[in-house]
Amino acid sequence: MRTAYRTVAAGVLLALALMAAQPAAAQTAEARAQNVLHTWYRLTLELVRHTPTYSPPVASRSFAYLGVTAFEVAASGRPELVSLAGQLNGFDTGLPEREAGAAYDEAVALQAAMATGIKTLFGNTGPTGQRAIEAIAAKLQASAAVGVDADVVARSEAYGRAVAEHVLAWSADDGGAVVENMGFPFKYELKPGPEHWVPTSLIGQQQVPLLPAWGSNRTFAIPNGASCGLPPPPAYSEDEGSRFYKEALEVYEVSKTLTPEQEAIARFWSDDPMLTPTPPGHWLSITMQILEQQEAPLDRRVEVLARLGIGLADAFIGCWYDKFKYDLVRPVTYIQRHIDPKWQAILITPPFPEYPSGHSTQSGAAAEVLTDAFGENFAFDDLTHQEDGLPPRRFASFWDAADEAGISRLYGGIHYRAAIELGLEQGKCIAAYTNALVTRRVQ
Amino acid sequence: MTLLRQTLLPALALLATTTAANAQDMAVAIPEFIEETATSGISTVYEGEWEFMVGGGVAVFDCDSDGYADMLLSGGSSPAGFYRNASERGGALRFEKQQSGLELDNVAGTYPLDIDSDGTADLVLLRVGENVVMRGLGECRFERANEAWGFDGGDAWSTALAATFEDGASWPTIAVGNYIDRREEGFPWGSCTDNWLHRSAGSTFAPPVALTPSYCALSMLFTDWNRSGTPSLRVSNDREYYKGGGEQMWRVEAGREPSLYSKEDGWRHLRIWGMGIAGYDLNFDGYQEYFLTSMADNKLQSLAEVPADGVPRPAYADVAYARGVTAHRPYIGDNVKPSTAWHAQFEDINNDGLADLFVAKGNVAEMPDFAIEDPNNLLLQRADGSFEEVGHEAGVGSTAIGRGAAIADFNLDGLLDLVVVNRWRPAQLWRNVSTDAANWIAVRPGQTGINRDAIGGWVEVRRGEQIMRREITVGGGHASGQLGWLHFGLGSSEAAEFRVVWPDGEAGDWQSVPANAFYAMERGKQAREWRPER
Repeated sequence: MRTAYRTVAAGVLLALALMAAQPAAAQTAEARAQNVLHTWYRLTLELVRHTPTYSPPVASRSFAYLGVTAFEVAASGRPELVSLAGQLNGFDTGLPEREAGAAYDEAVALQAAMATGIKTLFGNTGPTGQRAIEAIAAKLQASAAVGVDADVVARSEAYGRAVAEHVLAWSADDGGAVVENMGFPFKYELKPGPEHWVPTSLIGQQQVPLLPAWGSNRTFAIPNGASCGLPPPPAYSEDEGSRFYKEALEVYEVSKTLTPEQEAIARFWSDDPMLTPTPPGHWLSITMQILEQQEAPLDRRVEVLARLGIGLADAFIGCWYDKFKYDLVRPVTYIQRHIDPKWQAILITPPFPEYPSGHSTQSGAAAEVLTDAFGENFAFDDLTHQEDGLPPRRFASFWDAADEAGISRLYGGIHYRAAIELGLEQGKCIAAYTNALVTRRVQ
Repeated sequence: MTLLRQTLLPALALLATTTAANAQDMAVAIPEFIEETATSGISTVYEGEWEFMVGGGVAVFDCDSDGYADMLLSGGSSPAGFYRNASERGGALRFEKQQSGLELDNVAGTYPLDIDSDGTADLVLLRVGENVVMRGLGECRFERANEAWGFDGGDAWSTALAATFEDGASWPTIAVGNYIDRREEGFPWGSCTDNWLHRSAGSTFAPPVALTPSYCALSMLFTDWNRSGTPSLRVSNDREYYKGGGEQMWRVEAGREPSLYSKEDGWRHLRIWGMGIAGYDLNFDGYQEYFLTSMADNKLQSLAEVPADGVPRPAYADVAYARGVTAHRPYIGDNVKPSTAWHAQFEDINNDGLADLFVAKGNVAEMPDFAIEDPNNLLLQRADGSFEEVGHEAGVGSTAIGRGAAIADFNLDGLLDLVVVNRWRPAQLWRNVSTDAANWIAVRPGQTGINRDAIGGWVEVRRGEQIMRREITVGGGHASGQLGWLHFGLGSSEAAEFRVVWPDGEAGDWQSVPANAFYAMERGKQAREWRPER
C-alpha cells in the first residue's frame, strides 16, 4: 500500500501537466481552491489556539475530519484520487456523489465544505472566533465564486455542504465529539500508589487528568487505541540504582546544566494549548509551510493534509490509551519527592499521566507520514512560532524534527527518556496504518 | 500529593505567622445584602456587541461635595448614565439620573481622577474610539477637556487605565491599555494595539508614548509593589489575543523612559486571560498581594520572598489555591463549567479587620464551554488567611453577566454596598443591611497643591500589633474606578489609630480616633470627623 502512495510524485507531475493543458479559467479555479483551502487551514490553526476545549487530542481529531472533508470533495472530481470511504473506521457508506454529467466548481464546493465543517467543529469558539469564521466565510464565498455560473455555484455549494455534513455525521459518535469542562472530568478517582499520576498544577480545574477516556475513541486508520500498544515503562522504583530512578535523575541533572540551545529547543516544541496551535497544530503548520513553499497543487495539498490529520488523530488516541493504562507519575512529582523538593520543570507540566510522551508519539507519526509524502532527508525551515517571537529552526528531515520534539520534553523537565523514545516508536507504528491508506490510483 | 503539599506548605506557614495575632474564631460573619436596583433609580445597561464584549465599568466619586458617592455607568454602544446619589444616611439607596455632560456613547470604562488638582473630580472615559477627559465643573457638571489639556484621545479600543503623579510633576501620568485592532475581522489575533502613557508636560499632557510591546491590556495598576516610593505599572493582559506576550510590569520613573521588568529582574513569565487586578496587603507584611482575574482560574500573587534588606525582587508565588480563591467555577447550581472573572476588589465587607474579595463574573458572550449562569463571588477572609465563598448567602451571587463593579458605602452607614455593571442587562445595586457587622472607620486623605487625593499614598490603620495598609490608587479592577472614602473594618475595636503616608513618603502622625465614623485627613492637620448633612 505504501507503494500506492509513493505514486504521488508521478501523480503530481501528471496533474501539473493536465493543469498546463487546461484553459485559463480552470487554472484560476485551481488557484481559487488552493486559496480556500489554505485560508481555512490558517484560520483553523488560530481557532485551535483560541478555543478553550482544544487541547492537543481534540485538535488532532478536528484536523483529521477537516482533512477527510477536503480530500473527499477534491477526490470526487479527480479520477487520480481514491476515496477514503471504506478505508477508515466507520466511514463506509453514504458519501454523497456528484451528479453525473453536471459541472462543479472545486473552489466553491471546497469553500462550502470547509465552512460547514469548521462552523460545526468550532461551534464552541468565542465571539471573536465566530466573527472571524463569518468574515472568512463571506470573503471566500465571494472570491471562490468569481466567474462561476450561478447554477454551478449552487450545485457545488450543495455538494460541498453535503460532503461536510456526511463527515460530521460520521464524527458524531466517535467518542470525542463532546468535550465538557475543557476536557477535565467532573469525577475521577486517582489511582493509589506512588507510581501513579497525581495533579501537578495549582489550577483548580486540573486536579483531575485531561480526557481520561480519549484512548477508547474510535480510531481512523488503526484498528483501535490498543493497536500500537507499548510495553510497560521502566519499573517504578525509588532505589537509586534502578533504571526508573536514573531516568528521573537524568531529567533533573539535564535541567541543572541546560544549555541555551537546549532551553530554546524545549520552548520551541512546548506548544502549550491556548498559547500555541498545540503539538499537532505545529506539525500541521510545518506541512502548510512546505505546501505553500512548493506551490503544491490542490490534489497534493488535500491528500497530504488528510493523511497527516489521520495520523495525528490516531497517534493521540493510541498514546492516550497507554497513558491511562500505565498512569505513570510525572518527573516533577518524583523528583520533588526523592531528589530535590524545590525542583521545578521549566515547562508547564501537562495535566495528565506521563507515559508515553504525547508530543513524541504524535511527532513520530507526523514524521513518518510526512516522510512518506515528501521523502527522506527533506530539509525544511520551521517558522511556526515566529509571530510569538521564537526564531525559525532548520531541520534536515522530518525525523530530525521529530527527534528534537521528543527530546525537548526531557529538556523541559516533563518526560523521562523512555516515554520519549518509545513514544516516537509508537508514532511510527501508528503512522504505518496511515501510510497504508490508498489515496491515489497507481499509474 | 507531595508536590502540592510542598507548594502549599510555605504559603500556609506564612499565613500561620502573619495572622496569628488575629486568630480568633474561624467563623466569618456573613454580610446581608438586599438588591435595590429597581427602587434605586439605576437603569443603565452595558449594551453593544463584539466591540463591547469587554469593558463595562463604573466610576464612583463625589461630584457635589456632599460626601455621598455618585456614579457614572458605562453604556457601551448606548450613552453612559450619570446618577446623583440621593440616599439618606443608613437609608435605602436612591439615585437620580441627571444630565452631567458625561453621556457619551461607546464608553467602555470610566475612572475618576482630579487631573487639574482643583479639588473637583474629573473623569477619563475609555471608549471604543476616542478617549475623552472630562473636566469637573462642580455640581456634577462636566465638559470635554481633551483640547484644553492637550489630551490625545486617539482612536482605539481602550480597555484599561491607571494613573499616578510622578515625582515633581504637576499633572498626572495616565496609562491607557488598548485591546485588539477592532478593524481586523478574519485574523485579529496578534493585532494588539499599543498601550499609551500620557505623561505630564506642565499643566497639560505630553503626546502619548507607546508602551511597546503591548499585549491587549484589560487592567492596569500603578502600584508601589516594593515600597520603593515609586509605583510601577502592572499590566494584566488577555492571552486570547497576544502573541509572544505575557503579564507585564513597567518601571515608570520620573524623567526616564519606561522599561519592563525582565526575567533577570525576577519577573516571572505568566500568561493568563488577564482581566482585572486588585491589590491589598493581605498578610500585613507591608507588601501587597495581587489578585488577577482570568477564565477558569484566577491568581493570587504574593511575593515569593521578602528578603531581610526589604528590597524584594518582583517574583510572585501563586497562592490562590492555598487560600481558596481560585474561584474557577460556579459555586451554586449544577453548572460546573469554568467561570469567567472580571472586576476584582478587596474590601472589608463585614468589618472584621480582614479584607474580603469580590469578583464580578459573567460569560464573555454565550461561550458554551464556560458557565452561562456564573454567579459573582464574595469571598470572606478567615482568620487563617483562607477565604470562604458566601456570595449566594450574602445575596450578591447574581448571574447577570457581570463586568465592572465598585464597592462603596453609598448610604454612609459604615456598611459597604455594591454596584455591578452587567452586559446586556441593567447594572445592579445592592445595599449592605448586615446587622452583625463589626466596627469601622472611613478615611479621606487630602492635600493641597498637586494631587489633592494623595494618589500613590497609603492609609495605615493600627490595631494592637497589626497594621492594615491600603494603597491609594486609580486603576485596576475592570474598567472601573473610585475616588472617595477608604473603608477599614475594625472588628470589635471601639477605637483605632490611623495615619496617612503621603505620596512623597512623608508619614503623617498617628491619629487616635473612635470607631464608626468618617474622618477627613488633611495633610499637616489633625483628623477631623466628618458627618453627612443628611
